[in-house]
Amino acid sequence: MVEKTEFWRWTESQWTSPDIDWKGKLITSGVDVGSVSSQAVILADGELFAYSNMRTGSDSPDSAMKAINWAMEDTGLKLDDIIYTVGTGYGRVNVPFSQRAITEIACHARGGNFMYGSSVRTILDMGGQDCKAIHCDERGKVTNFLMNDKCAAGTGRGMEVFADLLGVSINDVGNLSLDIDKEPTPVSSTCVVYAKTEATGLLREGWPKNKVLAAYCSAMAHRIMTLLERIGVEEDFAITGGIAKNKGVVTRLEKEVGIKILDTSNYDPQIAGALGAALFAKALHEKGKKK
Amino acid sequence: MGYFCTYVPEEILYAAGILPVRILGSHEPQDVTEPHIFAMFCPFCRDCLAQGLKNRYKYLDGLMIAQSCLHIRQAYTSWIKHRPVDFEKFLCMPNKVQSPHAHEFLTEEYRIFKKEVEDWTGKKITDKDLDNAIKVYNENRRLMRKLYDLRKRDNPPITGEEVMEIVMAMQMTDKAEHNKMLKDLLKKLDNYTPDREAGSRLMILGSEDDDTVFMNMVENLGATFVTDDHCTGSRYFWNEVMPGEDRLASIAARYIDRVPCPSKDWEERKRIPHILNLCKEWNVDGVIIMQQKFCDPHELDFVAIKKALGDAGIPTLFLEFDVTVPVGQFKIRVEAFLEMIGEEDLF
Repeated sequence: MVEKTEFWRWTESQWTSPDIDWKGKLITSGVDVGSVSSQAVILADGELFAYSNMRTGSDSPDSAMKAINWAMEDTGLKLDDIIYTVGTGYGRVNVPFSQRAITEIACHARGGNFMYGSSVRTILDMGGQDCKAIHCDERGKVTNFLMNDKCAAGTGRGMEVFADLLGVSINDVGNLSLDIDKEPTPVSSTCVVYAKTEATGLLREGWPKNKVLAAYCSAMAHRIMTLLERIGVEEDFAITGGIAKNKGVVTRLEKEVGIKILDTSNYDPQIAGALGAALFAKALHEKGKKK
Repeated sequence: MGYFCTYVPEEILYAAGILPVRILGSHEPQDVTEPHIFAMFCPFCRDCLAQGLKNRYKYLDGLMIAQSCLHIRQAYTSWIKHRPVDFEKFLCMPNKVQSPHAHEFLTEEYRIFKKEVEDWTGKKITDKDLDNAIKVYNENRRLMRKLYDLRKRDNPPITGEEVMEIVMAMQMTDKAEHNKMLKDLLKKLDNYTPDREAGSRLMILGSEDDDTVFMNMVENLGATFVTDDHCTGSRYFWNEVMPGEDRLASIAARYIDRVPCPSKDWEERKRIPHILNLCKEWNVDGVIIMQQKFCDPHELDFVAIKKALGDAGIPTLFLEFDVTVPVGQFKIRVEAFLEMIGEEDLF
């Protein structure tokens, strides 16, 4: 059998800070088991020390274990060295070594606050199978939120389906969709399955791949805009989750909203949830000690 | 007698010796209503009709509705067409209850209705019968208000889920019997402190809602429903009949002036001050606005209610029902909402 390229497969990543010696420091972690991806973040005295970002398997506890083990790989840490862990994401109650579960909505707000600074008021988390618009205060505490309903439109899973259909690596989808002379009409349906049907039709009509991707990214941005319109966008505005890496969607969304979206280059935007969870873990541990 | 909406004047039925039974759904997916009712009508009216078509209310002798909204009326008309009953009645309850003619109009409608019931049963409904019915119903309402008063406590002795069960039972049992049980319950609750933390104090409001599974889920996340504005809740019993010489006019006044369903709450939105007052008196931390999918009257009110509550500093969470509740999807929203209104610990 010929090995088939898995175009949807996004790059998994792992990182360890070269400058931190964790010994003697307070180690906390957050694990975000999402519908598509899982992340583990380890903090040393509240500073980002290590993280991992990988695909979620069918078994949530196992995915959580794999994520934390990979994050610890180059650190010399053992699970016992982590004093407090908070689980978040769809599998938040299935993180075997966690002391507490907190929703990804609260965690993305807290993580976004850490990543982009306390001036962030609106965070859009575009995850694997849902997306959430979150308002928060200067501490990263949620003040209001809205989630999309019963539909995978505007999510990472939809983008995976398109990458696969067009035979384009998911990492290149965004840039390729911007490589066009004129913005095409967006696909009319954002339902992943129907949009795929529509795209198949466009390909048959002779549309090049970049034009089809542009039509889909643009439909996705538009769909997310309807969610944002219901809750409102206050500056500063930041995006977390996997779609934040897709310039095709982000650029178009920025145009629709008319507000600058904060730059994501310092951190992997997919770790925001786990990062927030790890920060909550630190706060909870310190509160617990005081009691 | 099966009835579709809480605008049906049960007192007249009760006076005639008829037991009113509210038609509710089953929360099971079904495939029998598709040819009879629009898919864009609310899941509740489709669920109710399904019960009729599946012969689950075979024990009913009669079926009636008082005009409230088109959706539930479609369930009624389709039901009597395909599962005929001995006595059927569409009672012309005015939608514009704020009209100066509403009282008079409804009183005359009641006169016609009373006559129809008498012809059907072959028995006259006397003033004495009506007085007794008014007395039993008013007592029931008063006892329920007492029960709701207990929920003002810091740790309410009864959960929102339990109260929902009580109101549902109330809509199906003889009120005299229900009164006995309520008195018993009130006595028991008087000195009772439950073995659970109250957590955040929530109010739930919106469309018809008998989803005890949802109530249970929320109340297991560190919260308690302390009051509500549902027709399967406080809206059903909040107002009493003020006895007067013309019994039918008194009953009509009760239904015209009661806490309104949003389909009748215009041109002035009278429900909003009532809701704000409930929040204040029951010391509510947050409000869950729960509506049946496609319920236009509630959806139109939502924006105004959300704004009024927001102005009063009360956060809201909006959720939309279907026949079956997607527990996972609702759970994350509710958990995040509770984290938002509480959990200062995390910072």
